[in-house]
Amino acid sequence: MFLMRFTERAYYHYTEEDVRNSYRSAVRLTFPNSYFDTAKASHMYNYYLDEYEYCEEVGFDGLMLNEHHNTPTCMGAAMNLEAAILARTTKKPKIVLLGNPLPIQENPIRMAEELAEIDLISQGRLVSGFVRGTGVESWATNTNPVHNRDRFQEAHDLIVKTWTTPGPFRWDGKHYEFRVVNPFVRPLQEPHPPVWVPGSASPETMMWAAQRHYPYVFLEADPDVVGDAKRIYADAANEVGYEPGPQNFGYLFRVHVQDTDEKAYEVGKGFLSGNAGVGRVPMPPEYMNPPGYSSIEGRRRLANINLRPDRLVGGVDSAGYDRVVQLNRIVVGNPDTVIKKLREVLSVVRPGILAVWTNDGSISHEDTMRCLRLMKDEVLPALRELGKELELPGPFEVDP
Amino acid sequence: MTESNNSENYVEVAGAKIHLLKSGSGTAILSLHSIEGNLGWLPYLDALTQSACVYAPTHPGYGSSERPEWLESISDLARFYLWMLQELGLDKVHLIGGFMGGWIAAEMAVMCPQALHSLTLIGTAGVRPDEGEIADIFLLGEEGTTELAIGDSDLLKSAVEAEDAIVRIRGREMTTRLCWKPYMHDPSLIHLLPRVEAPTLVVWGENDRIVPVSAGKRIAEAVPNVRLEVIAGAGHLPHIEKPQEVIPLLHQHVGLPR
Repeated sequence: MFLMRFTERAYYHYTEEDVRNSYRSAVRLTFPNSYFDTAKASHMYNYYLDEYEYCEEVGFDGLMLNEHHNTPTCMGAAMNLEAAILARTTKKPKIVLLGNPLPIQENPIRMAEELAEIDLISQGRLVSGFVRGTGVESWATNTNPVHNRDRFQEAHDLIVKTWTTPGPFRWDGKHYEFRVVNPFVRPLQEPHPPVWVPGSASPETMMWAAQRHYPYVFLEADPDVVGDAKRIYADAANEVGYEPGPQNFGYLFRVHVQDTDEKAYEVGKGFLSGNAGVGRVPMPPEYMNPPGYSSIEGRRRLANINLRPDRLVGGVDSAGYDRVVQLNRIVVGNPDTVIKKLREVLSVVRPGILAVWTNDGSISHEDTMRCLRLMKDEVLPALRELGKELELPGPFEVDP
Repeated sequence: MTESNNSENYVEVAGAKIHLLKSGSGTAILSLHSIEGNLGWLPYLDALTQSACVYAPTHPGYGSSERPEWLESISDLARFYLWMLQELGLDKVHLIGGFMGGWIAAEMAVMCPQALHSLTLIGTAGVRPDEGEIADIFLLGEEGTTELAIGDSDLLKSAVEAEDAIVRIRGREMTTRLCWKPYMHDPSLIHLLPRVEAPTLVVWGENDRIVPVSAGKRIAEAVPNVRLEVIAGAGHLPHIEKPQEVIPLLHQHVGLPR
């Protein structure tokens, strides 16, 4: 099993009141950046990087980063920069970018170059994930959401061709045109850095990933939904002639360890101000899902695919904390408790890639460091054994 | 409404089946709907059918009209409608449109001035105002836009709400496709408007909160044969809010008995 660590690097020095008093009470997109205290943020970027660097010592196989725009919930607005730093300051773990939002790129060649540099500096440790981005990414970059999926696919095709086809060549696409594609800098890994695709079980994206042998990483999804969704991936994989295994699937969820169950339960509440922001004020629906972002044609095509409804209506962000913990959507506890709960989840989801979201929201740096130390001493060794026992090979053990 | 000549059918243009309402007889009027889709015979339009033949198509990508895959912009749509006129055997028409519909009409007028008897633009998009800005209907969302545009008009509210939910989503998606960027305007249009030969009526609500009246003034300065009518007390939809004032203006402009 491939074990990686994740945090959204939240900025949390603002209040629920601040959000409620802002335009459309939205924590993303229009929440004024005057609430961003640059001195605090400078300190935070540094301790977030310290944590990632320490994760090498903890024994994680991967350092997972993500990117969002116009939001305090994730300070990774230019994720490739953080990746480039970690490429240089760490030696062993993979640098797993889940992922670069492709539709908002005006110049995918530049993206191919940045990723190639990260791969070269890290000496071949880049895992290059690609995403469509949330609707907010489209707003923030003024990219027409109607073309989101089209641009995602075309930018992907162009980047992969840029990495794998000797230049110069010309690209005449619908959304991108380049006279001379020939960036001199190419990635170290052959034929190109592995591509993984994270998401929330959108059937179209899963099928697309399966057709290309790209592992699909479920982002904090209901284990039952994951079961259905894996079948969609498997059907698409079967159609192109292979049977997927654990190496084709990843699972990201929140896992926080402290010395006692009580402490972990208390500290874990900090997760709730993470990706929904402080106060968890519901966002205007069109911010996350602008018109055209999810095509009607696509929805119609997929109408016959029925995923089981999530048991947490509204997901982790709007359900109560106890309910979330009870259903193992957030795992908190002392090392023994956490290992026991991880066994339950892993037995159902069976991922070859486990992304451990150790901290988020208002969980402090100190609590995070304690969590990581306990991960190092107790949880990770047990997880390694569990991975073997449950036969969950990762994508670097068995080719996806 | 002139029941005898009232029809609803589909015409094929560029391989796409387009929903078309037609009513009345006499000189041809082409009415181009706005972002809310084809709401049928609202009173201002119905009044025109009493002495003219009004064509009210549903734009490609809205309602039950198909969208040709290549159609991505308002200028594409203008070319598409010039083609439709050809298909319908109409050499010359009176063009009427509000907001996005007005933008399409203005693009048609600068592409093919000889196809127009007259042009009527109501609170139109297409030109950036000198003062203020065109409200961001996408960012405001459906509810926010409705509030700014419709205000207290129960008539339009009920017409919009009567639409099927999927049709509304499809319409919003198409509006996004056409108008996202450059947002609700075409930078060249203002420079091409002097080309419009046909008599042009520009109608604006004094309190339009979607497109400031300064855009109307800019258009009126660019078009040679133009009359600007600012309707006191009206908002974005003067033709719906104040039909008793706007209907006579339309009749007079199109040359119909009042």
